Amino acid sequence: MKKRKLTLALGTGLIALGLAACGDEDEGTSKSGESGELSGEVTMWTASLSGEPFDSYFADLEAEFEEMHPDVDVIIEDIPQNEIQQKVLTSLTGDDVPDVVNLAPRYMINIAEQGGLLDLNDLVSDDVKNSFLEGPFQAGHYDDGLYALPWYLTTTVAWYNSNHFEQAGITETPTNTQEVYDTAKAITDSTGKPSFYQIINAGDTVIQKMITLANGESIVEEGKTVLANNEDILEFFTLTQKMYEEGIMPQENAEGSFSTAQELFMAENLSLVETGVTFLGPIESGSPDVYAASKAAQPLNDPNAPMNVAVMNFSIPSKSDNPDAAVALAEFVTNAENQLEFAKVAGTVLPSTTESLEDDYFTNPGDSPKALGMLEAAKSLERSKELIPALENVSELHEIVKNAYVKNLQGDLTPEEALQEITDKWDASFEEAGLTPTF
Amino acid sequence: MNSKTKTQKILVYLMMITICVITVGPFLYTLFIALKSATQGIYDGLLPTNPTLSNFIDAFHKTDFLLYLWNTVIVTGIAVVFNLLFSSMAGYALARIEFKGRSIVLTLIIATMTVPFQLYMAPLFQIAGELGLRNTHVGLAILQISTAFGIYFMRQAFLNVPKELEESAYLDGANRFVVWWKVAMPLVKPTVISLAIYTFTFTWGDYLWPLINTTDSSMYTISIGLAQMSQNFDGGNMKLISAASILTTIPSLLVFIWLQKYFISGQTDGAVKG
Repeated sequence: MKKRKLTLALGTGLIALGLAACGDEDEGTSKSGESGELSGEVTMWTASLSGEPFDSYFADLEAEFEEMHPDVDVIIEDIPQNEIQQKVLTSLTGDDVPDVVNLAPRYMINIAEQGGLLDLNDLVSDDVKNSFLEGPFQAGHYDDGLYALPWYLTTTVAWYNSNHFEQAGITETPTNTQEVYDTAKAITDSTGKPSFYQIINAGDTVIQKMITLANGESIVEEGKTVLANNEDILEFFTLTQKMYEEGIMPQENAEGSFSTAQELFMAENLSLVETGVTFLGPIESGSPDVYAASKAAQPLNDPNAPMNVAVMNFSIPSKSDNPDAAVALAEFVTNAENQLEFAKVAGTVLPSTTESLEDDYFTNPGDSPKALGMLEAAKSLERSKELIPALENVSELHEIVKNAYVKNLQGDLTPEEALQEITDKWDASFEEAGLTPTF
Repeated sequence: MNSKTKTQKILVYLMMITICVITVGPFLYTLFIALKSATQGIYDGLLPTNPTLSNFIDAFHKTDFLLYLWNTVIVTGIAVVFNLLFSSMAGYALARIEFKGRSIVLTLIIATMTVPFQLYMAPLFQIAGELGLRNTHVGLAILQISTAFGIYFMRQAFLNVPKELEESAYLDGANRFVVWWKVAMPLVKPTVISLAIYTFTFTWGDYLWPLINTTDSSMYTISIGLAQMSQNFDGGNMKLISAASILTTIPSLLVFIWLQKYFISGQTDGAVKG
C-alpha cells in the first residue's frame, strides 16, 4: 500500500513538473473571430456518462450548440470517472488538452492547485454566476479563484427496505443516533440479519456526518480541532461501535464503501442506510424485488441540520487553446434549461440552477422508488452545501478520520480515544500545512 | 490398492477440487449472474431460473462493444507479433553475441522492469503525441512492443540451446540471421508461445495506457468499455457488466486453451539456466 502511494506521489510529482514546465504556453489563445463570433474545435470530457440515455442527450446538446455557433465544432468524449483526474493531469503535460472537463470538486482542487485550470472569475458574467444555487456555486471556488461552474448535484437521503421495517413493526425513520440504534436493533432482532450500514468511503462521509451532527457548531476553529465536548459526535462513535459489536452493523462495514452497501442492500442483508440519491442504480436491475420495497426518507438527523451536497462541476484547463468557446460551452451545458433536461434524463440527480428547481418535475417526479428518492433529495437540498471546505490537506483529513473511525468500529480504540486521535492528527496536519480553517 | 494409497488419492482429489472451485468458481458465478433474467435478482439463488442471453445482447447494444473489441484485437495482434520479433532478436543477441558491455546492457534492460509505469507515463504521453502515435493502434500497443521481460525471458531460453547445433549450421554456411531464425527459434518454440500468451493477456487487459493515450473514444479498447460500464454514475447494471466481462474473457481463455501445452513447458524453460 505504501509502495503504491509512493508511486502515485512520484507520478503526480512528475506530472506537476511537466505542468510547471509548460504552464503558460498557449494560455489565453482566443479563437473568436474579429466579429466576436466563436470558432474552432472545442472538446468536452464527461465523467462516466456513456451509453443511453446520455449519448442521445449529449448528441442533441452538441447539435444545438453548433447551430448557435456554426463555426464551432464540438467534440464530446466520456472518460471513466476514477481515472479522469489522472487523464487530465497527463494531458496537461502535452498538447492534447480538453477544453471543458467534468470534475468532482476534490479533483478540481488538486488540478487547480497545480495551475492546471483557468480562473473563471473574469470570464463568466455575473448573471451566469447568480443563476446557480449558492452552496454548489461556492464548491467551484479554491483559494479566491473560481475554477468550476456547478452542474448536477446529489444530496443525502435515507434509503430503507420497507418490508424489513414492516416486519419489525417500525413506521417511522429515525432522526437521531439513538433512534438509529433502536430502529436498527429492532430490525436485526426481527430479521436476524445486520440492518444498518455507515458508509465511510475515504473518510469524507464520516466527516460530513460529524459536521451534520455538530449542527452549526464548528468542529475546527482557526486550525484547532474541537471535537472533545461534542456529545452528539461522541454518541455517534459510541453507538456505531456498539452496533458493530452486536452484529447490528455488518462486518463488511469496516471496509465501508458505497458499493459494498449496495451489494448488502441488494442481498437483503441491510435495511437502512444514509447515502446519496443514486444509491438505487444497480439495485433496480440487480434485485427487482428489493428495488420495489425500497423507500426514501429524509436523512437520519435533526431535520434542520446542514447536509452535504455532492457537486459535479465543469472546469476549463489552463492550456485550452479555445477558452472563449470553452467558457461558452460550459455556460451552455450548465444553463437552467439544459440542467433541467439532464436531471430528467438521469432521473436521480438535481440541477444546480435555481430556475430549474422551480419546475413541476421536482415537486411531482412520479412514484417510482428512484423518483421518491429524488423528491426527498430536493427537500434536503434547501439545507445542503459542501460541508468540507476546499483545503489542500483534505485527503489527509479524510484518511485520518477513516483510520480512527474504523479502529473505533472494531473496538481497537474507545470512542474518546478515536476522537482524540482525530484531534491530534488534524491539528498536526493543519499546522504542517500552515492552515487555520474554521468549519 | 491399499487403504493408505486410497486415502492419499482421495486427499489429492479433494485438493484438486478445492483449487478448481477457487479458480473456476468466480468465473462460473459471473456467468450465472450474466445469464439471469431481468426479473431475477442477482442474489436470488445461485443458478439462473430462466436463463437468458439478453444481457450479452444488451452489452453489445449499450456500448460500442464491437468497435472496442476490434481495436483490442488489432492492438493485441501488433503487440504480440512485434514483442516476439524484437524480444527474441534482442534476447538472442544477449545470449549468443559477445560484445563489450553485454552484461551492463542486460542489467539495464532488467532494471527497467522495476520502474513503475506511473513514473514515465507523462513523458511517454508527450513522446507518443510528438511521434503522431496518439489515437493510433500502434500507439496503444507501443508499451508491449519489445518488453524487458520478453528480452530476458527469450535470452534465458536461448542459453539452453546447445551451441553445437548452431556451430554445425555455421559450418554449413549459414549466417547469424539464418541460425537465429532456422536453428535457435524452432528450439525455443514453447518459450515463444509462452511469451505470446503473456503479451496477449497483458495487452488484452491493459487499461491505463490505452485510456491515457486516446483522446478519441472510437479508439477505446475493451477494458475501457468495461470501466465505463462499471463506473456508470449510478453504479451500473451488474448483469450487464458480468455479461461484458465474460465476453471479454472468452478470447483469452480460448487462446490459453489452444496453446496451454506449450505454455506449461515454456514456463519451466526460462527457469533452468541463469
